[in-house]
Amino acid sequence: MTGNRGLLWLARRETLRVSKLWTQTILAPVVSSILFILVFGLSLGDRIKNVSGVDYDVFIVPGLLTMAMVQAAYANNASTIFQARYDRYLNDVLSAPMHPWQMTLGFLIGGVYRAFMIGLALFLLAVTLIAVPVQEPIALFAAVGLGLVLFASLGTVVGIFADSWDHTTFINNIVILPLAFVGGVFYSVDLLPSPWEEISHFNPVFYLVQAIRFGFLGESDVSVWLSLGVCAALAAPAYLWAQWLFSSGRKLKA
Amino acid sequence: MFRDDPPALELRGLTKRYDDGTLGVEEFDLSVPAGAFFGLLGPNGAGKTTLISAVCNLIRITAGEVLVFGEPTTSLETRRWIGLAEQDINLDRFLTVRETLLYHGGYFGMERADAEDRADEMIDHFELRAKADVAAPKLSGGQRRRLLLARALMHRPRLIILDEPTAGVDFELRQELWATIRALHAGGTTIVLTTHYLEEAEALCEEIALIRAGRLIARDSAEGLRRHYGAETLEGVYVKAMARDR
Repeated sequence: MTGNRGLLWLARRETLRVSKLWTQTILAPVVSSILFILVFGLSLGDRIKNVSGVDYDVFIVPGLLTMAMVQAAYANNASTIFQARYDRYLNDVLSAPMHPWQMTLGFLIGGVYRAFMIGLALFLLAVTLIAVPVQEPIALFAAVGLGLVLFASLGTVVGIFADSWDHTTFINNIVILPLAFVGGVFYSVDLLPSPWEEISHFNPVFYLVQAIRFGFLGESDVSVWLSLGVCAALAAPAYLWAQWLFSSGRKLKA
Repeated sequence: MFRDDPPALELRGLTKRYDDGTLGVEEFDLSVPAGAFFGLLGPNGAGKTTLISAVCNLIRITAGEVLVFGEPTTSLETRRWIGLAEQDINLDRFLTVRETLLYHGGYFGMERADAEDRADEMIDHFELRAKADVAAPKLSGGQRRRLLLARALMHRPRLIILDEPTAGVDFELRQELWATIRALHAGGTTIVLTTHYLEEAEALCEEIALIRAGRLIARDSAEGLRRHYGAETLEGVYVKAMARDR
């Protein structure tokens, strides 16, 4: 199909950017997540023996992995698109014979690749250091896929709308990071008193953490089907929003 | 070129109103024959870049139609026929010279082997061999300008749009770029050039369109314009045309 070769080269460009900047894009988030595991898991692990029957250092791994991956998927796409707009080399892509869906997908692949590489590195380290199991690999794969599409798409949208670098980091610092922290990364929401437990169920990141935790540990605070359903219900419109921006040219073309 | 060939570029009733209400161009009609060397002259804000952006799918046009070699630019195939060197240096900061050319070729549908050969050809032609593995931000101003032109030519477009290609370059490089552009034209490529250097337009273009405030004021050869405006130089034409239409 026309434009597929362009799509492959765009995806390749996005992954090349991640690889060229690997100390910033991959190493730094892996190191900070491992520090979380070591500091929280090993220091609190002696005091909090287990959560829902799981060792605390094992319990926090799925949530930390989720947090690192979604932040990377978001930040990658927000920054690559904002930079391309700012330096105007995005025009080279916009003027190329590619369909808008191919442009959307090409950029999405970059964010997914970066987040996946971080997830893989963290997974290998977690398996080596604290023997984290993978009880439900299909559910894990589905949850990671939906989560990355959701946050890479969100990054694309913000990268298109942002007028400054501050805007791209604002969403990460003010929205994504707080939602991840209160989304059950470090605790089971079942342990929270009312109404905090109920309020947690309005947090979309909570469902992603639960779905990924189910993939690793085979158990979670809510049904995995509900978690995957919520993730899919958010990922689809986020992707379509990014796609619509490329199709309509809104904010991309004067 | 044959008489029945469709024009290389045809604008029909092109109107662009920006989101803030500014009118870029209004009901603009223009036809550039295939194989022509065509110049667009006008002051800043006249609508030259708006016209170019409309042809290259870089703005959302309000009304009208853009045809390239008889086909609408909404068609992906048509976009392959257009090469653009923008006024601003808009090179991808993460790519080397060689990668810039290869990736551009890829975006425009070139096969990898062909893109590699063509990139080598462009690197040699524009004397960038020593800088082939250097990232764009580390190039000198003149090298960036050459790379910009090399990128526009990379996918062998039939219509090349050059938006002030010699802005800010020294005399030697300007002569070099002129020679390259002339050679392209001699090979049958249609060229649309915008420039603020009137001597450049006179030296290179077979036909010149004068634009002001989004409207076409006059169009003719440099000689025809001089005669029409009773001026000895193109500079005189420009001054009279812009003043008369104010």
